[in-house]
Amino acid sequence: MVLAAMVFPLFWMFRVSFLPLASDLGWTDLLSGKWDIGAYGDIMSSLGMMRYFFNSVLVGGIVVLGNILFCFMSGYAFSRYKFIGKNFWFYSMIGVLMIPAHVIIIPLYLMMRQTGLYDTYWALILPFLVNPMGIFLVRQYVDSLPRSMEEAARIDGASEFTILFKIIMPLCKPALAVLAIQTFLTNWNSFLYPFILTSSEAVRTLPVALALYQGHQAIDWPHLMAGSSLAVIPVLLVFLFFQKHIISGITAGALKQ
Amino acid sequence: MKGRSSLAYFFASPWIATFGIFWLFPLIFSLYLGFTDYRLLRPEFNWIGLDNFTRLLGDAAFLESLINTFIFVFGTIPLTTVIALLLALLIERGFPGRTLFRAGYFMPSVTSLVVVGLIFSHLFSRGGYIFLLARICGFDPPEYGFLLSSRTALYSIMAMDIWMSAGYYMLLFLAGLKAIPIELYEAAASSGAGKIRQFFHITLPLLKPVALFIIVINTIKSFQIFIEIFVMTRGRYGTSTAVYFIYETGLNRFEFGYASAAAYILFIIIALFSLVQFWLFRKGQIT
Repeated sequence: MVLAAMVFPLFWMFRVSFLPLASDLGWTDLLSGKWDIGAYGDIMSSLGMMRYFFNSVLVGGIVVLGNILFCFMSGYAFSRYKFIGKNFWFYSMIGVLMIPAHVIIIPLYLMMRQTGLYDTYWALILPFLVNPMGIFLVRQYVDSLPRSMEEAARIDGASEFTILFKIIMPLCKPALAVLAIQTFLTNWNSFLYPFILTSSEAVRTLPVALALYQGHQAIDWPHLMAGSSLAVIPVLLVFLFFQKHIISGITAGALKQ
Repeated sequence: MKGRSSLAYFFASPWIATFGIFWLFPLIFSLYLGFTDYRLLRPEFNWIGLDNFTRLLGDAAFLESLINTFIFVFGTIPLTTVIALLLALLIERGFPGRTLFRAGYFMPSVTSLVVVGLIFSHLFSRGGYIFLLARICGFDPPEYGFLLSSRTALYSIMAMDIWMSAGYYMLLFLAGLKAIPIELYEAAASSGAGKIRQFFHITLPLLKPVALFIIVINTIKSFQIFIEIFVMTRGRYGTSTAVYFIYETGLNRFEFGYASAAAYILFIIIALFSLVQFWLFRKGQIT
């Protein structure tokens, strides 16, 4: 029963997305077994949804790559090096997790306007290339690795960069996989920042497009649910394949507190 | 070693730059804006002291949005926490197919909030099955659907939020349950404690840290409710919340200073609540 209540709304979305376009969504239509892919045809061709989908993929891809590289570098520095002000920078990450987004969106909007980055891909990418949870994840993982290999490489004369990218990075693959999946999910579903930092359709991401699509015309459920399915399918695929990674990432963060 | 310190700074520089440019500076800038009347039509930084804050305390729209936010926070968090705990206990018992159930419960919380909002907009409307079920069960739903009536709109969104987030907190409770040593239960059982006593004397006290964590993060998150409101009602029918008010004044009417002052009031409320929760739990742990 409970499982049905939890999962049924998503099935419902798929069902409605396959309804004939002119149907009035009465029970007769929903139970009739009429299946129609007209809504999907429209969003693929004329409604610009493919553009929004592409924007989401592009921004998400760059942000994920950025996080893998930068969270890795920063996490490694916090794990292995001593440097001036290390504690301050460490607490800055915990502090950021406590700052609600609503406090910084107006200044962020003004900054993007001022620098000309407003309504460009850059506005959706630059602030999100590194995140504290990812740095914690890498730091914790590197902490658990033995130092012997780095020391041996150092004696052999390997540079710090070689050690970082050739020796440590391959060892961190499991942590980086968790990081990549979580970053993808967060970014793919992100609404507030893209909504506020862009305005034109050329750079609009899928969630923003869906939220606004409803606004400017009478509600057209089959199209809207087809677009929603487009937004949900990648997430469901990632979820089905990487369930263990996702859950371990979330619970690791919780138990650390 | 000096060379290594600068190298460390180089490795940590992405975070240091991001923190400075995209967190610390906006945070301070926002505070400053709150004391000015900076807006789109008159982009000058005139210091007006506490005027924005006194104006907010007399602004009916702001106060209403704050009240709605409080209703949302205090209405959803106890229910979400209890349901999440019950789901976790259910799954923890171990029955065939439990991983499937766990995945099913958790699925809503990886789905986009916009999409969930859209689906429920449909479910709550006249053609949606929640509306029809309510009618079959003998309730008297509002004529044009649950979201188009100020009697039910806010509560409907709250119900959806509980549906969406319970699975996520269930996972955290599950992790907490796994961390309880099984010997404790064995010892309790051998000294004659029943299942119910075990639950109240072992499980609940040991879950306290996880419960605190859940309540604190859920409080911080719930005070910021915005996306659901934007997608489902655009703040109409008595559903405007604090962040919706900030969005409306700051980014629709472009009164940046005034909206920043409102943002800081909410920020302070959230910070106070988190502190009080920590304090209450710490007190509870000593006694």
